[in-house]
Formats: sequence, C-alpha cells, structure tokens
Amino acid sequence: MDRRELLSRVFEPHPASPGVTRYTNAVLRTQDNEAVKFYDDLIRGKQCVINFMYAECHGSCPAVTQTLKTIYRELKPRMGKDLFFYSITIKPENDTPAALKHYAEMRNVDLPGWYFLTGDPNDLKTIRYRLFNMDHPGLDSDLALHSGYLRIINDGRNSWGMAQAFASNRNILRRIAWQDPPKSYAERVIESRARQILIDEEVKKYGYRRDVMS
Amino acid sequence: MPKKKAKDRQGVVEKTEGTISRRSVLKIGAVAGAAGVLAPNMLTSNEALGFQQTIAEPVTCANGQPSPPHHPFVQNFAAPFPADDHPLNPQPTEFANLGAGEADRAAHPRWAQFAPAHFTYDVSAAPGLHTFHPDFSPTYLWTFNGQFPGPTIFGKYGKSGIVRFRNNLPVTTTTFGRNEITIHLHNGHHGSESDGFAGDFFGTGFWKDNLYPNVYAGIDTFPGNPGGDGVGNPQEKMGSFWYHDHRAEFTLNNNVLGLNGMYIVYDSTDPGHENPSAGSLQLPGYYGVTDFPIELVDHRFCATANGRTELVNAAGGDKFIVNGMLQPKMTVRRRKYRFRILNTGPTQTYDLTLIKPDGSVGTMVVIATDANFLEHPIPVDAGANAGNSNSTTAPIVPGGLRVSVAERFDVVIDFAEFPAGSKLYLKENRTMFVGNPSPDPLPPGLNIGNVLMQFNVVNREPWFPVDTPPIPSTLCTYPTQPTTDNTWEWQFVLVGGRFRVKRPFDTVGCTFDPDHSAHCMLQGTTEEWLLNNNIASGWTHPVHIHFEEGRTLKRFVNGVEVPVPPLHSGRKDVYRLEAGQGALIKMSFRDYSGRYLIHCHNMAHEDNFMMVRWDIVPDQAALDACVADQQICEAEMLAKENYREEVA
Repeated sequence: MDRRELLSRVFEPHPASPGVTRYTNAVLRTQDNEAVKFYDDLIRGKQCVINFMYAECHGSCPAVTQTLKTIYRELKPRMGKDLFFYSITIKPENDTPAALKHYAEMRNVDLPGWYFLTGDPNDLKTIRYRLFNMDHPGLDSDLALHSGYLRIINDGRNSWGMAQAFASNRNILRRIAWQDPPKSYAERVIESRARQILIDEEVKKYGYRRDVMS
Repeated sequence: MPKKKAKDRQGVVEKTEGTISRRSVLKIGAVAGAAGVLAPNMLTSNEALGFQQTIAEPVTCANGQPSPPHHPFVQNFAAPFPADDHPLNPQPTEFANLGAGEADRAAHPRWAQFAPAHFTYDVSAAPGLHTFHPDFSPTYLWTFNGQFPGPTIFGKYGKSGIVRFRNNLPVTTTTFGRNEITIHLHNGHHGSESDGFAGDFFGTGFWKDNLYPNVYAGIDTFPGNPGGDGVGNPQEKMGSFWYHDHRAEFTLNNNVLGLNGMYIVYDSTDPGHENPSAGSLQLPGYYGVTDFPIELVDHRFCATANGRTELVNAAGGDKFIVNGMLQPKMTVRRRKYRFRILNTGPTQTYDLTLIKPDGSVGTMVVIATDANFLEHPIPVDAGANAGNSNSTTAPIVPGGLRVSVAERFDVVIDFAEFPAGSKLYLKENRTMFVGNPSPDPLPPGLNIGNVLMQFNVVNREPWFPVDTPPIPSTLCTYPTQPTTDNTWEWQFVLVGGRFRVKRPFDTVGCTFDPDHSAHCMLQGTTEEWLLNNNIASGWTHPVHIHFEEGRTLKRFVNGVEVPVPPLHSGRKDVYRLEAGQGALIKMSFRDYSGRYLIHCHNMAHEDNFMMVRWDIVPDQAALDACVADQQICEAEMLAKENYREEVA
C-alpha cells in the first residue's frame, strides 16, 4: 500500500453495523504470528471474503484455496487495501501460525491482504457460528457444512453476502462485487458516459450492441 | 438545554420535511461538479436525490414485542391511487441511455413493433411516510411515488407501455433494505431486459425503462385482433399483474419496506367499465368503485423514540394489512363487486373466508387465478362448493380461499342478497393482535383478531352504478397447447439447511447464479415441467415461473397422483406446493429469448437462493453455447463429501 493511500484511507464502519456484537473482537493470530482483533483489525469498515479451512486438509480446502488464488489475481489492485481474504482454521489445535505460514508458502498464497488465522478454539467456534449461523444446533456444529461457502462482508456498507466456493470464478467475482463499496454518483455517471460512447459506436457500426449478454 | 438550540432543531425538521433543502441542492451541485460536468438532464433524472435529506431513517426498535394496539373499523377501505400516465424526459430509447442516467441493460427487443409506447409512467422508488392506522404515527417505508401500496399502473392490450423506474432510495441506509432495485412485473410477457431479473439491480440515482408491450402471448402467430386488442392469442389474456422489487438476496427486505404495487391490464372482454360493449363480459369493473385490489401483507410495528411507529424487520408480523390499512371498513352497495386478492408476502399464506352476518361462510365466486380468467367461474363456500377449496390436502378452512405469496385470485362477491345494514367480514385463519374490542357486535364464532376487513351493506344510491348482469357461465376458453417437446423436473429441497432448486441430474441442487443458466431451451418449444416439493419439511413453496403461464396437468401428494383441485386447473404462474406436493405443468416458451427465473416466492426462500435462472435461446447455435455454459451445481457437494470424510 503506498504511503499516501495508507494515510488517506479511513475504514469507517456503517452506522448500523452490529460491530463486535455480531463479529466478536476475539484475538486471533495470523500466519506471521501477529495478534489481531477480529472486528477492530479485520472487519471494521472493510470488505472481506472469509472461508474456513485447515492445513492438513486434502479434499476441498486446497480447491477453495486455489479458487481464491485465481480470483485474487483479478482483485489484486484492491487486495490488502480495502479488500481482504481471511482463511480461518477449524483445527486450531493443529494449525499454529507456523503451520499456516507453511501452508500459505507451499501454495504460493502468502500474499498481501490474505490472512490465515488461528486462535482459541472456542473463539473460532463462536466466529464460525456467527458467520454461518443456521439456527440449527446439529447443522451448526457440523464442521463440514461450511466448507463450500465464502462469506463476503462489507462492514462499510453493513452488508453481507455469500458465494459458493465451487461456483465459477465469474460468479464468485460478481458476488464479491455485489458487496463492493457503493461508487459515488459522480463515479457512476463518469462510467456511464464512457460506456455510452462505446454503445453509440457499436450501434452505429453493427446496428446492435455486442457487449451485453442476452 | 438552551432554548434557542431546541428551537433551531425544531426549525430544521420543519424545513427539511417534504421539501428539498438548500443544503441537499448544494450537495447535488457538488456531486455534479465532481463529475466534471453539470448536465441539466442528469439533474432532472435524479432530482429526487434531494429526497435523501428529507425523511430521517427509522431508529432501531426492539424485536419480540407485540405491535401497539389499534381500533378496528376506523379507516375507510380504498383502492391504491393509480399512477399518472405522463411523458418521459428524456425520451425512452431502444438501447440503454447511459449518458442520461439509465442503468445498463440489453436493448429492448421488438422495439420497432412496440415503440413509441402508448402509456408512459414515471415511478420513483423513494423513502416515504405512510400512516397505517390513525392510532399509529407515520411509518418510514420505501415507496413508489411516495405511496403505499405502490400506485396501481394501468395498461391495455394492444397499447404498449413503458414504466421508468427510478431509484431514489437513500445513498446510505440504516434500514434493513438494500438501496438497489430491479423491478419485476409479475407475470408479464415481455423481454428479459424488462423482467426485473434478480441480478440486474441498479443503484441509487439511476433509472431504468421497462418496456411492457401489453400483448397476449403468441405474438407472431396472431398478427392482429379485433377490438384494438393488438397482437397475440387473446386466449392468453391476463388481467391482475403486480410489480415488485426482485433484488437478489434482498427481495424480502425491500418488499417488506413497501416496494410493490398492482398492474392491471384491460382488453375488450374486461374493459375496465361496466357498459355493454363488444365482447365485454360486463364484470364489475370500475376501479376503486366496484373493482378493488386487496393487497395483503403482514407487519410488526413498534413505537420508536423518534415519535414514529416503525416496522420491525420480522417476517411474519402480527398485523395483517389490507391496501396499507388495518382492519378498514368498506361501504358496499347491494350489488356485485370484484376484488383482486393479492398476497404480497413476504412469507405467510392466507386462508380467507367471507363471513356472513349469521356467522356462516358466504360465497366468493373466483373468476380468475393468477390474472388468468377461469373457463367457468368457480364458487367457493362452506356448503356445496366446499370441495372447491384450492388445496390438494384435506380442507384447511371450510370454504377457505388459500392464497400463498404472489398468488392472485379475482373474486366476485354479490352483496345483493344481504339487506341494508348487514355487516360481512373477510376472515383470515391466523389471528392478529388487535388490542381493542370490535365496535360492532361480531357474528357468532368470529374473533376480532381474525378479521381483515368489514363490509357494510347499504342500498344503492341513484348515482351509484347499477348492478352488472350475472357473471357469464363461460369467461374464456383456454388455448390449446402444442405437443410437448421436452420434459423436465425441478425439485425444491432443503439440503444442509440451505434452500436449493434441484434438476433431474443434480445430487444437491443449485443456488442462484446470475451468470449461468440452469436450463436452456429453444424459443418456440413446449415443455412439461414436474415441480416437486418432495421433502415433507412442512414448508410451502409457492413456485413462480417468470414470463409464461402454464396449465397444471397433474397434481401429486407424496408421489401419488391426486385430482387437480378446481382452482389449480386454470392457467397460473404460481404453483403452490405444500409439503410433499408436486405438480406437472405444461407451458410454451414463445416470442422472446433471454434470461428468466424459476423460484420459490416465499421471499425468505428466494433470498436464500431457492431460485435459478433458465434461458430461452433463439437458435441451435445459441442453445449449444447455453448448454456448454450451463450452471454446475455438483462440485460443491463432491468437495463437501471429501471434506466430511477427512474431518471425520
């Protein structure tokens, strides 16, 4: 992140954000063994994509990690600035920060803005419950149930959504974009006008628009 | 506190309520300035950005408390105000007019055929205050043109219409709604760019033109009809449509906040008046006089610190609202009336009965199901016609008319048999919280908490329209459906706590993916779809299919075929599947190609993505491309299985 951006960037939570009452402020550790507060440091005012995994997993976790790695490339300019990936372990007893560091390095995903998190098992259970709560004790205690989902949060606009981790990359990117910070009216007007010029050219040339799907 | 400060604060409130404050005008200027240009048409399109300053958002209120009490039969029942037909500036265009602030969309298909539009409506989604009952303070809602329910929009077959939906919702909101909208006309026959596809939502400050050609299906096979009804097969006539927000993930929230209304289309059989005219069925037909929508919704209210009575975000309220009123009274003359009953949700199913003064169940003659006339009117009562209850399970309420979310039933009630001074009641099976006794003695066995509205019968005054002739025994003939090209199955399931739509070959099911179609078909084909709610989960799934009306060929309960109940035998677009029920329906896909949806209309379910996209494609090449890019819903389950093995 360049210095000017760092200084000018203010992560403002939405006035209606439930804050720590939903997300908790549990202290977690990153793959670099930094202590972070879950709400204050990771969620507050930011947009993030959260999944659950563990390092020794050989089934779906590497596949989800691979998917995230692919979409990371698309989102690179924003990563670590206003968009973050959090991969939270469900086996904190095995996954020390060092183990997660190893996992991340091995898969070439030790990247800016992508944190692998571990912490107190009960804290992680609470967080998992808060993010994927289905009000069903049996389902909520099933560790396997959330492996296929990504929770997308934007605390700055108090919104959250979900994506299926095995949907197409195009779909996941769209789901993330659905929670993007709203562009200002001015920005959208500028975009619209630029787009209008393209439309006019295409319509003039072909008689129809080629860039829109049916 | 110093006196002056308090006064100032008061002044601010007065100045900003209802007008665009100077500050907000300056803000608009600043925004436009930031865009580098100050285009007048841009400001016109978004003039109501000023709305954002005028109405303070609600303060949070505690959940779990009953609503405040209210006094029954205080308000006079009325139809929602109609929308004004007025010219649009800038003119509607075939291609999206992004430069003037329109949201991006595909070009309007059949533009040369249906433009310029005969009707144009300018409808703005913006915050508004609505008083549900005189006992309540105003309630903050998201409204269309400031009114709740949304203004009734009128159309006529053969005359195309364009509705410009503007998004003037707040830029930031602390309400439970989402300030992005995509308006679906349920269940119009038009291009998919005007269909309010759930992924096509647009943000604050923008607008979008929806082109509603107001044509019968079968445009190319029926080039023209007498009586000015335009093209298409008149047997495909529909009347009572409704429009509502369809924003993916937030349909429930935005509809609870008020973004819905009625859309009524007339033709020569149902011309919107009662005078004899060529082809007219002469049904009660003066809107707001003898023809009323009954738009049902349930809400929970709370009195908040800001002096308003606000909505609590809870699906399943304890007050049942009729046309934005609470237990209104309606003065009816001794003649026939038409009611277009619509359940706007968000989740609950109504069981309605008409209660006569002696406490027995009266007759409601159903003339249309989901906007389509029945071939023969079907009376529903507790006596000889009790079997006309429209459920395949055991009778729920004798003589009850079951209305799940988004279903419409047009009924005619004849008040001529009751002497002046009689009071009848529309009863709902569930009980609401009233908190005050009825001012009038109720018929035996009727609890005030079950009353939706009261009918006071009076003699017809000389100025009031005379009664219409008896309802014709034949209202229409159903179109003959072509032979079936393909069969298909959709199952509505709950897997791992998540609502899904499952195709024949899926093991898990699909959630909503705006980018991929779950089923592709060629334009002009006819398919039989088996809709199945085959989990005895207790959930009712009112399954809605966009764009085309279907006929129910068979009904099933737990896989066993049962006779099709009379009220499911007509043309419909919402197929109510109670636990374990199934329906085999048949429909043709004509006239347009594009993206459409099938989903459960319980809005809590569709927001949890019990919804998939299906596509109509124009030719074989497009079909191949569509199939190649079809939604894949399997991988997730496979991965999950791997994962589960490892965790265990």
